[in-house]
Amino acid sequence: MPLAVELRSITKRFGAIVANERVNLAVERGKVHAIIGENGAGKTTLMNILFGLLQPDEGAILIDGVPTVLPNPAAAIKAGIGMVHQHFKLVQSLTVAENVFLGMEIRKGLFIDHRAQSERTATLSKQFGLEVDPNERVGLLSVGIEQRIEILKVLVRGARTIILDEPTAVLTPQESRELFQTLRGFVSQGMTVLFISHHLEEVMEVSDTVTVLRLGKEVGVRPIAGLSKAELIQMMVGHAISFDRRPRQKAKGAAVVEIRDLWARDDRLLPALRGVSFDIRRGEIVGVAGVAGNGQAELAEALSGLRAPSHGSILLEGRELVGRSARDIRAAGLAHVPGDRLVRGVDRHASIASNILMGRQDALPWSRRGIIDRSYLTRRTEALMRRFDIRAPGPQSLVKSLSGGNIQKVVLAREFSTEARFLLIDQPTRGVDIGATEAIHAEIMRQRGEGRAILLISVQLDELIALADRILVMFAGRIVGDLDAAGVTEEELGLLMAGVVPERQRDVAGIA
Amino acid sequence: MGQRLEALSGQALAILFALILGAVVIVAVGENPVRVLVTLLNGAFGSPERIAGTLLQATPILVCGVAACISLRAGLFNIGIEGQLFMGGFAAAWVGFSFSLPPVIHLLAAMAFAVFAGVAWIALPAFFRTRYNANEVVSTILGNYVAVLVTSYLTINIFKRPGGLPETPPILPTAYLPEFFSFSRLNWGLFIGIALAIGAQFVFQRTARGYAISEMGANAKFAEYGGIDIRRQGFLILLASGAVGGLAGGIEALGVHRRFMEGFAPGFGFDGVIAALLANGSPIGTIATALFFGALRSGSLLLEVDTTASREIITVIQALIILAVSAQIKLRRGASDSMAGERRWKF
Repeated sequence: MPLAVELRSITKRFGAIVANERVNLAVERGKVHAIIGENGAGKTTLMNILFGLLQPDEGAILIDGVPTVLPNPAAAIKAGIGMVHQHFKLVQSLTVAENVFLGMEIRKGLFIDHRAQSERTATLSKQFGLEVDPNERVGLLSVGIEQRIEILKVLVRGARTIILDEPTAVLTPQESRELFQTLRGFVSQGMTVLFISHHLEEVMEVSDTVTVLRLGKEVGVRPIAGLSKAELIQMMVGHAISFDRRPRQKAKGAAVVEIRDLWARDDRLLPALRGVSFDIRRGEIVGVAGVAGNGQAELAEALSGLRAPSHGSILLEGRELVGRSARDIRAAGLAHVPGDRLVRGVDRHASIASNILMGRQDALPWSRRGIIDRSYLTRRTEALMRRFDIRAPGPQSLVKSLSGGNIQKVVLAREFSTEARFLLIDQPTRGVDIGATEAIHAEIMRQRGEGRAILLISVQLDELIALADRILVMFAGRIVGDLDAAGVTEEELGLLMAGVVPERQRDVAGIA
Repeated sequence: MGQRLEALSGQALAILFALILGAVVIVAVGENPVRVLVTLLNGAFGSPERIAGTLLQATPILVCGVAACISLRAGLFNIGIEGQLFMGGFAAAWVGFSFSLPPVIHLLAAMAFAVFAGVAWIALPAFFRTRYNANEVVSTILGNYVAVLVTSYLTINIFKRPGGLPETPPILPTAYLPEFFSFSRLNWGLFIGIALAIGAQFVFQRTARGYAISEMGANAKFAEYGGIDIRRQGFLILLASGAVGGLAGGIEALGVHRRFMEGFAPGFGFDGVIAALLANGSPIGTIATALFFGALRSGSLLLEVDTTASREIITVIQALIILAVSAQIKLRRGASDSMAGERRWKF
């Protein structure tokens, strides 16, 4: 029996960034095939290629064994492939059935046959266990039900292979479990499901086979049966570029940052941080490891004042930060290199100088009586560009014209040139080439040498082992490990990241 | 710089395209496009009086345009300037005819009331925007209808002379905004408008506050991360925009009509918004686009006298320009990367 979908040696580049490099994917009919990898591993790019949204630079797509070119989504739909995106595209003011049939309405003469559409929607929803009321307005429904409608849209267009891009990201645990049942139902009726995720537990629960992507490359295909979480983590985080541990003297300073019993909710208002406590000393790098989505993002946002903690205390040199604004927290001595660099870290359409100014525009000598000192800004930007080796024609160059590594250096140049005692560094080298990575690591160590307290959040374990003094492992919003980074192995960390800790196993079962 | 030039030439092309389409429309109604154009130019610039008339028409469009630029810069869209203008005009006129004050003080008091009325009229939409994230486009546009009707009600039911025209009593000469020439009602409002445009441009480009406002409009998440209180700033920006909108009304009331009446300043608020959009949100650029719209309005007066084309043809041409320019913005957004489109044009 031919494979439902086969991708052969797919390569896709965006400028200097290789999003997919010679990726192979073989999906058997009637199976749930998961594609797992960290953020930025190239999962979504690969699926967008399969759905005709992107064209591969190299490689071939075979559907049911036939080589196929998919110039657009319409061609993919025709070939029996449907995709449910992370962000839904529904018309809130129309009914469920109207949304399902949008663009392919069943007609009776000149008019839309609403009754036929409702009946057909009801039939499909019964057949696949996707419970919806065809005549309800979408605007009144929950996110979980909106997702069902998106799936119905795909089904009614005749899809036999369904791609779901991070489908559980917007769902509650209860809704996720219902979705998994639905997916199992699909394959039992001979359909094929491609399931994108970075959540181990989900992949282990719902899929038959898993393909692991890391940094744009395929690192392995395994049947789920017989695969352990620890093995899967190992494949996900791997060690593509192994950095040597940086030499250092032990940090012996006083605690600069003291975090006690910190709780916070995520955007869905579910608890994402569940009682986190730790200290960071002067001249110490504390690393945070964990599979994405275990509370690291919320921790960074809570520390920087971008998300209000629901409970707990954050002391910076003895002063309470909880309840204060992002501006006050910066003034109290925080510098922040955000994980989502292009969203929070820069204004891509502005110049380097303009980006360097952010956060200090009201302070001397950057401005005087409210007027920006442009010649000072230019001089300082030039100096910082030299100091941080930012490769661009000049201070007026637009950030969007720079490479990923140079954009990150702009962020570092701004944040590290403050007087802050506490550096919060989130994914410092994500999407950055190896040369710039070296330079960034050296810079972080230099900041450590200057006696700053550093919290380093990274999905790259080798980076944490190279730079950190201690590594905290986060799982399901808690710190499940606090290890001396000297002598720790990626295997040890991997087990903790998978939630495999004897005394914690009860929690894991309850949360996953 | 290269990019700015590109954007400008794109704008010029869009206007040219609209004028060609306009010519087709003119031919369709049986007129000669060249004759219409010549008459328009003649009507707008043919004599000192006509030039003054063009500037007179351009003044409220400019002031309203600056009001729009202020909100656009922060990524907000105050489309309720028409309403703020009516409220400001009424408030200024009321101070002008109700109180007797020394010359300069009377004028300043009336202007201050106009500003206050504009602020008051946008305060609720601004509050709902910042507190509940209610879309300011919808709330400010609805405010327009209410403002026009409320001022009209007050004028007719409270201040109108029995049997007289639907207008308030005239303001006292102490509150007059001085005129330049005996032959035109062109007044100091023009300079107020130009000063506001230059001032806004300066604030946006040179000051720390202007930087914070621009970054809020360009990437609100970045601004928030940098410690800018985008809610508070957004609220204040909307109030500032409303203040300038109210001032536009004050200038019309104290400088041109010297009273408030029904149909006080039709469409100036909307034309101002369009002039600001056409200038890509640049206050200095708005001086040019406001002049352009002022010339169209003033030229169209002669058009009705000298040709068989009606004044409405100008409205058609104006609509075509808006269409062409917004299509061109859309095209540019598609051509560059997707994030660029979010910059300032997210209504």
